[in-house]
Amino acid sequence: MIRLSPTLRRCLAEPRVRVGGGLMLALLLVALFAPVLAPHNPGEQDLLHTLAPPAWTADGEWSFALGTDSLGRDILSRLIYGARVAMRVATVAAFGAALVGSVLALIAGYYGGWPDWIIGRAVDVWMSFPPVILSLILMVGFGAGLNNVILAIIIVDWTRFCRVVRSEVLAVVKRDYIPAARLAGFSHLQVVLKEIVPAVTPLLLTLVSIEMGIAVVVEAILSFVGLSVEPSVPAWGVMIADARQYMYEAPWGLIVPVLGIFVSVLAANVLGDGLRRSVDPRLAQRLAVIR
Amino acid sequence: MLLEVADLNVTVRLAAGEVAVLRDVSFTVEAGRILGLVGESGAGKSMIGRVVARLLPAGFRVDARRLNFNGEDLLSVSPERQRALLGNRIAFVPQEALSALNPVLTIGRQFEEHLARLGVPRRERRARAARALGEVRLAHPAELLDRYPFQLSGGMCQRVLIALAFSSDPALIIADEPTTALDVTTQAHIVTLIRGLQRAHNTGLLFITHDLRLAAHLCDEILVLYAGDVVERGPAKMVFGVPRHPYTRALKRATPGLTGPRLRLAALPDVTPGVAALGGFRGCRFAPRCPIADPDCAAAVAQLVEVAAGQWVRCTPRCAAGEAPLVAAEEALALHAGQEHGALLQLEATAKIYGGSRSLWRRGRAVAAVRGASFTVGIGEAVGVVGESGSGKSTLARLVMGLEAPSAGRILLEGEDVTLPLPSWRERIRLMQMIFQDPVSALNPRRRVGNLVTQALEAKGQTLSRAERHERALALLRDTGLPEELMPRFPPQLSGGQRQRVNIARALCAEPRLLVADEIVSGLDVSVQAQILNLLLRLRREHDVALLFISHDLSVVRYLCERVIVMCGGEIVEAGPTEEVFAAPKHPYTRTLLAAVPPDDISRPWPPEDGMAPLGDE
Amino acid sequence: MIESGFGIVYRRCLVAVPTLLVVSVLVFVVLRLLPADPLAMSLPPNATQAEMEEMRHDMGFDRPIPVQYAIWLGQIGRGDFGTSIQFRRSVSDLILAALPTTLELVAVGLTLGILLGIGCGVLMFAWRGTAKEQIADLGSVVVMSIPEFLWAILLILGLGVGVRMLPFIGRIDAQMTVPTTTGFLLIDTLIAGNLPAFLSVLEHLALPAFSLALGLTPLIMRVLRSSLFDTYVEDYIALARLRGLSERRILLRHALKNAALPTVSLIGVQAGFMFGGTLLVEVIYTFPGIGNLMVQALRNHDLPLIQGIALVYCVIVLVLNTVVEVAYLRLNPKLRKA
Repeated sequence: MIRLSPTLRRCLAEPRVRVGGGLMLALLLVALFAPVLAPHNPGEQDLLHTLAPPAWTADGEWSFALGTDSLGRDILSRLIYGARVAMRVATVAAFGAALVGSVLALIAGYYGGWPDWIIGRAVDVWMSFPPVILSLILMVGFGAGLNNVILAIIIVDWTRFCRVVRSEVLAVVKRDYIPAARLAGFSHLQVVLKEIVPAVTPLLLTLVSIEMGIAVVVEAILSFVGLSVEPSVPAWGVMIADARQYMYEAPWGLIVPVLGIFVSVLAANVLGDGLRRSVDPRLAQRLAVIR
Repeated sequence: MLLEVADLNVTVRLAAGEVAVLRDVSFTVEAGRILGLVGESGAGKSMIGRVVARLLPAGFRVDARRLNFNGEDLLSVSPERQRALLGNRIAFVPQEALSALNPVLTIGRQFEEHLARLGVPRRERRARAARALGEVRLAHPAELLDRYPFQLSGGMCQRVLIALAFSSDPALIIADEPTTALDVTTQAHIVTLIRGLQRAHNTGLLFITHDLRLAAHLCDEILVLYAGDVVERGPAKMVFGVPRHPYTRALKRATPGLTGPRLRLAALPDVTPGVAALGGFRGCRFAPRCPIADPDCAAAVAQLVEVAAGQWVRCTPRCAAGEAPLVAAEEALALHAGQEHGALLQLEATAKIYGGSRSLWRRGRAVAAVRGASFTVGIGEAVGVVGESGSGKSTLARLVMGLEAPSAGRILLEGEDVTLPLPSWRERIRLMQMIFQDPVSALNPRRRVGNLVTQALEAKGQTLSRAERHERALALLRDTGLPEELMPRFPPQLSGGQRQRVNIARALCAEPRLLVADEIVSGLDVSVQAQILNLLLRLRREHDVALLFISHDLSVVRYLCERVIVMCGGEIVEAGPTEEVFAAPKHPYTRTLLAAVPPDDISRPWPPEDGMAPLGDE
Repeated sequence: MIESGFGIVYRRCLVAVPTLLVVSVLVFVVLRLLPADPLAMSLPPNATQAEMEEMRHDMGFDRPIPVQYAIWLGQIGRGDFGTSIQFRRSVSDLILAALPTTLELVAVGLTLGILLGIGCGVLMFAWRGTAKEQIADLGSVVVMSIPEFLWAILLILGLGVGVRMLPFIGRIDAQMTVPTTTGFLLIDTLIAGNLPAFLSVLEHLALPAFSLALGLTPLIMRVLRSSLFDTYVEDYIALARLRGLSERRILLRHALKNAALPTVSLIGVQAGFMFGGTLLVEVIYTFPGIGNLMVQALRNHDLPLIQGIALVYCVIVLVLNTVVEVAYLRLNPKLRKA
């Protein structure tokens, strides 16, 4: 019998973690198996069947299950391939920003002094700018491409992690078990890796899941404006921008990608919320407040 | 009869069933009289206050034959009437004064809000508030009204709370451990204050505390609680002087004394049963720990019987027969009386100054936490450091351990200069280990106990196999009296006393020659404290380890240490053999400190009546 | 150090200059990395090589980057933000014309979001332990999962197209005209005494402001509720009860003021983000604000315009942060040192 720590067991038992995590997993699988799942090539235009409605309506047909867009492309396939883009961005960008942000936060929080000052000033400068606009400007500079999108998001969002993780590190460093570890003979590096990192990891995971939702939204905004992936790659934001022009005649073209974004962000938020609840030590106190 | 409680039962519904956290509690409080509720944590004494206030959490049920306040039945009174009584006719004084006041409102605002509730017209409120603050001997009351709670000391905040409580001229005051969080001199002042005001207003006072000796000096009558049962009741001097119930006796004997012969503390085994365990008791809840229990005790609960005038005991008739006389303490001090073994640790004119940095835009005031401290700890010797908060004793501990670098002076370990900064951290902490005060903060909640106690073996250069590490952990647990099954548990799953033992075990792992203990028994119950103190005595003997013991509790220091250092305001004001310093103190501060401790001999008056001078910034 | 309101403003102004410099350098350098030719958008398709070179020289794109930056900085010092490549008008004129629209929109959106957020947060706390709270909690997670621009689209689909309740194009009815005094239509219509126009402006503001507000409300709700929980376990709340204060008074007079602190911090951060949200919301609702302007500038690689608007955003966020810090100081006496 594997001995799980009580925290881990609590996490997996939390309903929100299961629901959010399950949804997330489903999305990742869809993204992974896109070529197998999608009925058509997402870029394939069928100019005879433009703006076809979904299959269950009067004029619909089952080969285009969710209808087609203005160029006759199958919406369902574009949805599935769009999920691929969204999930790629979500996972890599979220973990990338988390890595950069937490390493800097550990340095700033543990060592203090001038590294803390420099990192703090950098975070201040970064946060004096609405992040969406910064990522747009970066994309103008970098040019189109999925990897550029990921890089842009990492460059913009590491500050979010840095700030929060740093406060957590500062709180942990105040606990007596840190000097106790030093007195046990641990070097500074050992203290950071063995005592501090495990303490901030739960918070970090919560932030990562929420960041995945944020990354999906940022990518959608970028592709809506036309500054994300190359035009040949299907993305949900692009679908929205296209369908917006035909919103009166063919609203489903708009609703489908909106739902895609919504479900992804919902999964990320529910998962993050669930993780936070199962890890928060103050929860027991809160239950006492409910009278 | 102000407050009349007869056969009070409070039950809580748990997953396993219903558990009685208070069983058949009866007492009365009369106007102008003080009733002491004495018990350790888990006794249920704080619950009584909440019952009177009718502010119990959900899931608790109250059942009583009578619960009257001034003739009114508190159980059937309407919620509005109940709320009208609180703060008005029934006032409360809480334990943690600093956090009992809203930090974002001024003292004046909070006071005026209270007075507004009492119906005082707007024009008079500020004057009334200032007058009330003057009554509790606070200097510059008018200015104080515009300050925020965080700008006041703990003692000053407690005075404000007492002023708030008395401002409505209440009939009854319930004080829940009001002096536990305070320094010993402040405690003496506050107790004097409360008693003076209580007499002047002829208020009834219900004084809840864990300190039996304090209650004996202050209260008229004492009620001793254990796990929700009233085990003894009677006039204060009698209950303390001639305790009848085995638990009361154990409480008294587990408290180290400041005067008289040094006797070995008789510590009760185990701990008070937790709420969940209470359900399993059909009979006496003290039976598992009681030295004179027999099989009948566990079968049925005894009745309260009057064994002497006004003194009631809930026990078998055998308990009146008393037990074996107390065992004289082994002369642990004599073991190291001839300390010709040489000095282990020496401090020479060490100082630590914070602040006073010279950067361009921050000019902080320099604070000298420790000034010119010089002393020696011999090999295997136990030295106590006493002082109040702000005396610098904790900073001294950190300087010794190397967690801070001294601003001046030298630190020598076995003759070698180890003053920081040193090239090697290993060198600095060689031979020494620290036991931290708060075991909740000092034990990483994510490590299992077995892992924690052998943490020193994880450092670089240590190569032990898992089996060897396991063996070492077992040995350490045995050494500190912890059962083997605690190995895979996590700290949050342990009791306070167990956590402190784990703390000690971890310090022992590195086989130090000197242990620095910073207030390690402060938050513990009396019986648990006695267990830990005896453990420390045993460890000293078995491992021949020296001890630097920091504490604010003089009796504990007297029990444990052969020499003592008294600190005040960062300086060492007096030092010497413990018995000498405590019997014949030379420095005025030491004398004040000793006078502020409630004496073991209850016929001596306490607190000293001259402790009524007004205080500015304490 | 005496920490007063003025002290904060002073300190912030000092810090603002290097911040703006650093930001402007970053933006400047990043934009010049771009793989495409910035001029390609604004030249006619049959322009000759010579004409392109001439234009490049005029615009200064043939100089090394640090020199370009120095020139640009000098121009800023004189108040000249350059000329937009695509519109061929001065950047400052364009920005000044568009700024009031965005400020008005964000002001209304913020107010709406804060009021709704605080109200719902307090309600959710008052409902604690009941089923209503669980529903509200799930509701807030759902609302939070729809970004502002999607709300904009959904609101149009629902209330604009589906039910035809509110307009969703432009700031005011196309037929009405109002003399422009301040640029803030709400104020201008009132000054002109034109009540139907005022109502029309309100109607047109409703959906976009609501879209922005919905990005803020659930966050405020959750943080406020969380901090109320944290406050309620504090000792002074328990003692307030023991002093006989009513639950209502405890919540409104004692708990809320303490719980407001993290909420104010959050509002400060999110207000800055809301300006980012205006980009797409303005595009979707066809509002002629700086968000819309920025999107066009970005699409067309109009570097001077992008730089100018970026600086404006930076200044706005700095002002917001200062305001929040001052508010925080007033709420939290521990930060003031007498």
